[in-house]
Amino acid sequence: MGNFFSSMFDRLWGVNKELRILILGLDGAGKTTILYRLQIGEVVTTKPTIGFNVETLTYKNLKLNVWDLGGQTSIRPYWRCYYADTAAVIFVVDSTDKDRMGTASKELHLMLQEEELQDAALLVFANKQDQPGALSASEVSKELNLVELKDRSWSIVASSAIKGEGISEGLDWLIDVIKDEQL
Amino acid sequence: MSAQTYKKKYEISPSGDLPDKMTIYQDCMNTFNESPVNAKRCRLLISRLLRLLANGDTFPQNEATALFFSISKLFQHQSDSLRQSVYLAIKELSGISEDVLMATSSIMKDVQNGSDLIKPNALRSLTYVLDESTAFSAERLLKSAVVSKNPSISSAALCTSYNLLPISDVTIKRFANETQEAIVDLKQFVLLDEASEFYPTSTFTTQYHALGLIYQLKRNDKMALLKLVNQFSSGNALKNQFAMVQLVKIVDDLIHRDTQLISNFETLLTSWLDSKYESVQLETAKLITSFATHHSHLVGNRLFSNAVSTLQTMLSTPRVTSRFAALRVLNRISMVSPEKIVVCNPELESLINDSNRNVSTYAITTLLKTGTAKNISSLISTITKFFHEVSDDFKIIIIDAVRTLSLNFPQEWKPILDFLTDVLKNSEGGFNYKNSIVEAIIEIVSFIPQAKELAMEQLCDFIEDCEFNEILVRVLHLLGKEGPHTSTPSLYVRHIYNRVVLENSIIRSAAVVALSKFALIKNNTPLAESVVGLLKRISDDEDDEVRDRATISLKFIDSAKKNPVGEELLHSKYTYDLSSLEKKLTSYMSSNSDAFKTPFDVTSIPKYTEDEVKAMELKKKQQSFNSSTEELGTKFTDEAEETGKRLDSATYHGANLDEHSKDLQSTKYIDELLSIEQFKEFGSLINSSKTFPLTETEAEFVVNGVKHLFKEHVVLQFNITNTLTDVALDNVAVVCSSEDQESSELKELFTIPVDRLLPSEESACYVAFKKPEGVVMESFLNNLTFTTRELNPDTKLPFDDDEGFQDEYEIDPLVLNAGDYIKSSFVGDFSASFDELPNENVAVYNVQESMSLQEVIDKLIVNTSCLALENTQYAQNETNQHTLKLFGKSALNGTKIALIVKIVKSKKGIALKAQGRGEDATLSSDLVNGLM
Ligand SMILES: Nc1nc2c(ncn2[C@@H]2O[C@H](COP(=O)(O)OP(=O)(O)O)[C@@H](O)[C@H]2O)c(=O)[nH]1
Ligand SMILES: [Mg+2]
Repeated sequence: MGNFFSSMFDRLWGVNKELRILILGLDGAGKTTILYRLQIGEVVTTKPTIGFNVETLTYKNLKLNVWDLGGQTSIRPYWRCYYADTAAVIFVVDSTDKDRMGTASKELHLMLQEEELQDAALLVFANKQDQPGALSASEVSKELNLVELKDRSWSIVASSAIKGEGISEGLDWLIDVIKDEQL
Repeated sequence: MSAQTYKKKYEISPSGDLPDKMTIYQDCMNTFNESPVNAKRCRLLISRLLRLLANGDTFPQNEATALFFSISKLFQHQSDSLRQSVYLAIKELSGISEDVLMATSSIMKDVQNGSDLIKPNALRSLTYVLDESTAFSAERLLKSAVVSKNPSISSAALCTSYNLLPISDVTIKRFANETQEAIVDLKQFVLLDEASEFYPTSTFTTQYHALGLIYQLKRNDKMALLKLVNQFSSGNALKNQFAMVQLVKIVDDLIHRDTQLISNFETLLTSWLDSKYESVQLETAKLITSFATHHSHLVGNRLFSNAVSTLQTMLSTPRVTSRFAALRVLNRISMVSPEKIVVCNPELESLINDSNRNVSTYAITTLLKTGTAKNISSLISTITKFFHEVSDDFKIIIIDAVRTLSLNFPQEWKPILDFLTDVLKNSEGGFNYKNSIVEAIIEIVSFIPQAKELAMEQLCDFIEDCEFNEILVRVLHLLGKEGPHTSTPSLYVRHIYNRVVLENSIIRSAAVVALSKFALIKNNTPLAESVVGLLKRISDDEDDEVRDRATISLKFIDSAKKNPVGEELLHSKYTYDLSSLEKKLTSYMSSNSDAFKTPFDVTSIPKYTEDEVKAMELKKKQQSFNSSTEELGTKFTDEAEETGKRLDSATYHGANLDEHSKDLQSTKYIDELLSIEQFKEFGSLINSSKTFPLTETEAEFVVNGVKHLFKEHVVLQFNITNTLTDVALDNVAVVCSSEDQESSELKELFTIPVDRLLPSEESACYVAFKKPEGVVMESFLNNLTFTTRELNPDTKLPFDDDEGFQDEYEIDPLVLNAGDYIKSSFVGDFSASFDELPNENVAVYNVQESMSLQEVIDKLIVNTSCLALENTQYAQNETNQHTLKLFGKSALNGTKIALIVKIVKSKKGIALKAQGRGEDATLSSDLVNGLM
């Protein structure tokens, strides 16, 4: 029975299709930590990402191709080389890094203007909520000017990659939106 | 049922033809960006791309970068074989694409978590993506890969570390222990199934890679290298033959740093000559014989003859590569000490007919060197028999050897010239080939007076039917230069004029110039007049250049009757130093501020007379015989330091290049000197010495000195290199004091210090003296004085608050001797010239130091600045006597000076008897009395 349904499901959602998802954000926001939390369910020790990491994972029967791009100033210009065919962008913000909220906001809006990302859904993680003094999701939302975004499904979710909180909630929302809009 | 099937071909054309570049590019861009990735097709396309690049095709940077980014997307696919192709592509694209650093994280992940299959590829590609700022982040990964039990992984990590040394030596230097461990650890492949028992369990190449790296890490530490050799030469420690060869090279490095060490290694070297690997035998024989060319007294006769007999045995091995390699080494020895390998002559002779042409050619050229005056003609007739069968390249090598023969045995010029003439006329060949023959004949014309006219006549015959403009022009120039001084000038005029009638305008122009030189012949008025007649006729030539040259020649000839300038213009006695002329002209052209109103000043460019030019040429030839015998082994030690380059690119260069760069360097020193304002008033430079080392090459401050002479001044130039890494030197000067203060005739005028010398910089400090006209000899004691200032590691500049402290450093003395007032010069017939000269002086010396004959000879040549003639610059081995013939001219007044030095070696030491004659009596006695 289960098998029967799942193969029905596969046909419906086209199991061959792989969804490309980008994780972007400033350096140190927690992108790499989130990627491996998703893939292996653990917290790994990270080094600054020179370039990118890419992992394929299955989430709710969907094959996701998740790209975690380095966030250092020197690497941001290369983000655009990886925009094509992107279903969704996960933008990660270090909620404790108040000084760089402006920079994060600027990079976010710059990126969303790109032609190739017009159809991509946006999920923002207000990360590092476990830290004292972290801005709340709505405060981060304000800093990032999210309400200005039109013609795009977006959501902001408070998260802690270290504790594993908020990550699957955010991803569930994202997958639903993608299924609705793109499949 | 009708069966009709069709299977689509998978785009691989059976002929192996490659689609065109644009198609490949488009296919790659489309396919690599697809999702999901089609691994098989991507691999196919990458292999096409690689083939395209391997064929020498390339992409503009933007396309290469686009390709790189799309290939980087293939990291999302986990297939190992696709990943291997991706690594190959990254390696190839790294040279032409930008931004390859974007692959760094993905590569490092493979190094950490990838399968054993792709780990080596990943490790090797780190070389291409890391730079100074990211190298440290791979430290831990590389370190643990170096100690991996898997030989491929360990080797890859070692090679990458080696290649990263110029980029980030700080990081790699921390691997010393792990690298050492990798030599000791005999790593084996893991056998996966039964079938693999047929494969070797290991080649132990890791040992070679590890030894290569450890050598780079410890190369500045002599003791550590000695320990290394001790550790790995004993027992069975090294299993890989390349590692053993590397160890031989380390020994080579060590004995060049400290020549006395050779005796410690004697037993080891002897055992290596018996190694079961030919490569080790060969490298060892190479080391021993090349070391012996410069330090023959340190190499025992037994060791040397063992090396030669190893090579001799190798001449009859079935493997052609070994035969060839052994021959090459023997050939080098033959250039300096042919008598030492005469024992190999039977083997060499049997190789003349070797089926491999490279081998037979080398055998013949070697035999030509080991040949003695007795067998030259028989050798030449042997060559003549097979000469027409070999390719142009080999012909050129043979011609070259024959040419050397003519310099070494001038009295045997006849069969040599006959041979050259024969092959010049009766064989087919391209420009380089014909040119090499003509060059050899020209050399005979220049250096063997008794053969001159016959050789020139042969050239005349040749140009009657020569298809190469360049060669014709050269020969015409030679005829013009030498023809007027021969017994039958009219012969040459006839041949030259034939060219005017028959050839194209380039050659006609050259012929006009050559012809005009005959117009000034003093004792043959009818000939001179008919040359003028010919030139007048030519001034109607249809070609502008030819006409112009004829007209201007006629003008010069006319004015030469009243005015010596005309003669000088027609038949110049001087040539300018071409490299400094070129440099000055370039800067004159580029710094033009007044529309060339100021004329170009030619006086500061050194001029040479005919004989000086010949002397320099001959000297260069003598040196190039010498330096071509030096092995790359001696070079790979001291030149790999250049930053930014791959290490291996620095390990190989030709010896001649080196000679050339020495020349350039001395011109550079002179240019720098003359550009300094304070020296302008000293007038023109009369002579500059060669460069003398004044410290050990391993000293903290490496100093060498050059002596420059002006008419009434002497300038000592000290080139100082700061080899420390963390200290700058401020206000660097040299304090020179005369050894004999009382009687010194020199008065110190001023010193130009170096303001600041940063680590690894070289700069010059000058000390100027006033000197009376004429020859002054003096010995200077020298002290380097400076203020050391510690550097801030961040700014690489001295700390502001650090005042530094004064220090001094004693360097070797520098002696201004009679030789500094002499320039080497050439004469065709030394004995006749010597007999003609007046003012004989004789002096006798006893040398107590233990020196070889060759070292004494070398020292005499340097000290006198004279040219060694009649091939007397080489000591004949197995004898204890030598006669050295030296010739030169005064740099002050151009008077000739000749010297015969008899050298006798006995148990008590070396005795010299010098007999000198010169037109300048004081110079002659100063030279003879100040030899050593
Ligand atoms: N306290 C806390 N630290 C986090 C969290 N997520 C990531 N980090 C830490 O932030 C640092 C940077 O994380 P990383 O994933 O490398 O950031 P990236 O540059 O965006 O890839 C690491 O030290 C992580 O352990 C989080 O939710 N809470
Ligand atoms: Mg990261």
